[in-house]
Amino acid sequence: MATSTQPVPAERRSQRPRTSGPGVTFGRVLKSEWIKVTTVPSTVILIISTVVVMVGLAALFAWSQSISAEALSDPDFPAEFQAPAEGPGSPGFAALSVPSSGLIFGQLLIAALAVVLIASEWTTGMIRSTMVAVPKRTPALLAKTLVVAVVAFAVGLGSALISYLVAQPILRGEDIDFAITEDGVFQSILNTGTFLALVAIISMAIGILLRNTAGGVVTAVGIFFVLPLIVQLLSGLADWIPKAARFLPGDAGNQMVSITTLEDDLTQWEGGLVMGAWALGLLLVALLVAKKRDV
Amino acid sequence: MIEAQALSKRYGAKTAVDAVSFTVQPGKVTGFLGPNGAGKSTTMRMIVGLDSPSGGHVTVNGARYATHRAPLREVGALLDAKAVHTKRSAYNHLRAMAATHGIPNSRVKEVIDLTGLGPVAKKRVGGFSLGMGQRLGIAAALLGDPHTVILDEPVNGLDPEGVQWVRHLAKGLASEGRTVFLSSHLMSEMAQTADHLIVIGRGRIIADAPIQSIIDGQGRVRVRVRADRPQDLLGSLAGDGVTSQVLEPELIEITGVEPRRIAEIALRERVLVYELTPIQVSLEDAYMQLTQGEVEYHSGNPAADQTSGGQGAVHRDDAQIAPTAEKGR
Repeated sequence: MATSTQPVPAERRSQRPRTSGPGVTFGRVLKSEWIKVTTVPSTVILIISTVVVMVGLAALFAWSQSISAEALSDPDFPAEFQAPAEGPGSPGFAALSVPSSGLIFGQLLIAALAVVLIASEWTTGMIRSTMVAVPKRTPALLAKTLVVAVVAFAVGLGSALISYLVAQPILRGEDIDFAITEDGVFQSILNTGTFLALVAIISMAIGILLRNTAGGVVTAVGIFFVLPLIVQLLSGLADWIPKAARFLPGDAGNQMVSITTLEDDLTQWEGGLVMGAWALGLLLVALLVAKKRDV
Repeated sequence: MIEAQALSKRYGAKTAVDAVSFTVQPGKVTGFLGPNGAGKSTTMRMIVGLDSPSGGHVTVNGARYATHRAPLREVGALLDAKAVHTKRSAYNHLRAMAATHGIPNSRVKEVIDLTGLGPVAKKRVGGFSLGMGQRLGIAAALLGDPHTVILDEPVNGLDPEGVQWVRHLAKGLASEGRTVFLSSHLMSEMAQTADHLIVIGRGRIIADAPIQSIIDGQGRVRVRVRADRPQDLLGSLAGDGVTSQVLEPELIEITGVEPRRIAEIALRERVLVYELTPIQVSLEDAYMQLTQGEVEYHSGNPAADQTSGGQGAVHRDDAQIAPTAEKGR
């Protein structure tokens, strides 16, 4: 690479008093982290993948509900295989959760995004530049967490809204389309964003603790995807297993997007608070560890 | 100004930096010289707070690095040319670092021009050569127009033009009254850039002196003498700053006395001298001697060495280097 180097700087600023001039503020660190998040290709790729996957899944789910509804209206269909025509379990009711139905895979992509954005700081060595610029460390990590959480929230909210819009024509054929103002629908759409923001925070904490992209992604997928499956398999063994499982971050968080909750389940609020506590606790531990650890 | 006091870093049982104390003064280029693994990088990382000391403390411009309100305006550091996200462009990397201090984009463009990164600024850093990576690291170090500049092995991977540029840059920054602290494992590089040298070996400071006195100190006349009764000669020569070692029964090496003086004394003592060879010590040799001394110091018996005293050690602003008994021979 050809380079031309200028002669030694006759730096004009050398006489300037050093104590003046702007310093580090949280707002500035936030801006810096925003620049960092938006200037790596993985961010764009993973955000687009998340939206596509979530909307695609929602469309499929809407389609399967319309098929159920069609079967329900067919008098020849054996009654014992039919879903109830009304109330929880009916296609019309299940359709209400279409906007949030992409979360099952969307959460994995957002977890991957968060882990990639934070762990790559260590795998590339960028963290040394970051920590030299912000030697108090916590503001930099907190700012990145905030930026990624906001992005995740926007992606979740956006995907859920698009899913809602995409699903309506599919559902209309069987007359099970619904308005966004129906009970719990908008709250479910909004909390699709909240859930992903909390997934992002938990994944950031994991990334900070492990400092390794692959290990971080595997751990996050384990928490949000594999752990609930294992618990489901084991739930027959003892009564306490499903009861305790309600407090897993993913299971609790999912309650936030449910339209109605069963007697034994956590309510939307309780689920959100439990998952929020996980996110807050893990983030605190991660920040404390990062503050002490050599970079 | 950088001030380290009894600064130590231990990794488990291994001591990387062993209670070093030194001051890096503004207005001159201070070289930090030592073989690989001597503790240079660890020391520099502790200065900017990436590693926390196991003992002692270090301040920059009067305060611990992390406590400065605008650290990048106090200290610019190149610690690792590849402390950059490989998928991000050089321009965006600098922009993100500048944003933390509210440094305007005009300054980002300035340092890009200054370091000659212009043609590649919008390219991803992952594709950079080692030399371009170094230039980017230096650009980042200069972003805040800092009063103290720390460069760890800045000429690594640079082409000859780049090496010369770094030299001029370091001298230029020092002439503006800034503190410039740069490390190298090459004495020859330091000889051309530094005004003052801190030599480190095995985590200990083994010399801290103006470069000229290190050259003078190490370059003191060393004379190889073959004589029939070397002990008689040595007895009369003994005095301040004179050291000697017996290599063979009739072969000795004397440091600190001019050859003519040795001849005069030999004549007076009626000692037969059949060789008198002055040995010139190059700067490179001087450095090797300094650091090798340190290596031997540790691999030998420390207790025994300590009592022999002053083993190849130079103390601050005191160039009395005594390259005594190289035990290996």
